[in-house]
Amino acid sequence: MNFSTQDNALIPDGASGTGEETLRLIARLPVPQLLEERVKAGLNSAPRTARILRWPAPLLRGQGWMHSTAARSAAAAAIVIVVAGGSWGVYSRVQPALPPNVVVMPLHTAPSIGFSSAGAMRTPQTLNGSVVAHPATVTPQQSKAASKSADQTAARFRQGKRTVRGARQ
Amino acid sequence: MEIAHSAVYDETRQHVEDATLTALVDQYAATLYRVAFSVLRNATDAEDAVQEAFLRVLRHRGTLDEIRDHRVWLIRIVWNIVLDRKRRAKTRPETDDVTELARVLPAAGLNAEQRAAAAQHHAHVLACVDRLPTKEREVLVLSAFEELSSVEIASVLGITESSVRSRLFRARNLMAGLLQHSRSLR
Repeated sequence: MNFSTQDNALIPDGASGTGEETLRLIARLPVPQLLEERVKAGLNSAPRTARILRWPAPLLRGQGWMHSTAARSAAAAAIVIVVAGGSWGVYSRVQPALPPNVVVMPLHTAPSIGFSSAGAMRTPQTLNGSVVAHPATVTPQQSKAASKSADQTAARFRQGKRTVRGARQ
Repeated sequence: MEIAHSAVYDETRQHVEDATLTALVDQYAATLYRVAFSVLRNATDAEDAVQEAFLRVLRHRGTLDEIRDHRVWLIRIVWNIVLDRKRRAKTRPETDDVTELARVLPAAGLNAEQRAAAAQHHAHVLACVDRLPTKEREVLVLSAFEELSSVEIASVLGITESSVRSRLFRARNLMAGLLQHSRSLR
């Protein structure tokens, strides 16, 4: 990929291989015209937060009532009177509760020796396992047959043991 | 009288801050635009990013005196803004890059066909850059700015200078591999 141009920056140099010429070309791009002016205009139109509020002009000139010592003292005294009066008003309206003359003792309904159970109740542990809805009913004949087969099995087992012992001996 | 002095002081201070801000815009707006464009690859988005960066500076203009290197500080601000925007935006298709590069690249001595081919090549290189791991890509993009030293790149990215060098080395190797691969496919 070769281009016949005088501007070397525009030639895609495939041989150099890392593509950095492209990035350098972008890094040298001309900026749009009047970019700075647009940025400045944007900054001027932006709201300037966290401004410090200034005192009104008459106060700054030293002609307001606040610059008279007597007036300032009177204002301070007025503030103190209002705060103290309010506090007294609240204090005088609130009646403190009188302490009771008689102390009522709690009743012991069932006096006993030792520790009380403090109303605790014992709850028995319950099983939360599966419950057989329809328990199997066994007839006497079935139970007889089952016991007979169990006896036969036991006899066979005993016989087998004896055979093993005989073989060992 | 103290109040009046304070008001005058505030007003003077505000004038000084405004003058400093204006000087920063004059001096660094172009650099910030290029940094923003190298990541966003769109002229309008890059200009918006520069505007946002200076608005942030305006909000913190009270601390301008404490900044040691305004240039690196500003590049760091705009860098964070463009990375944030890039993350939020969807991946740009390569065709968009071709169109935008064909529009913004200087076309001295090139006819329309050559210009289109050059834009396509550069867009392809940028697509390869996008395929790099983030750390390597960031260092490679910033290293293209000749006015930024490796120490300043380290300061912008918040890493050490040796990390910049090792990442740049890896990035170059990876880019060479990617471009070699694409060339062999053609």
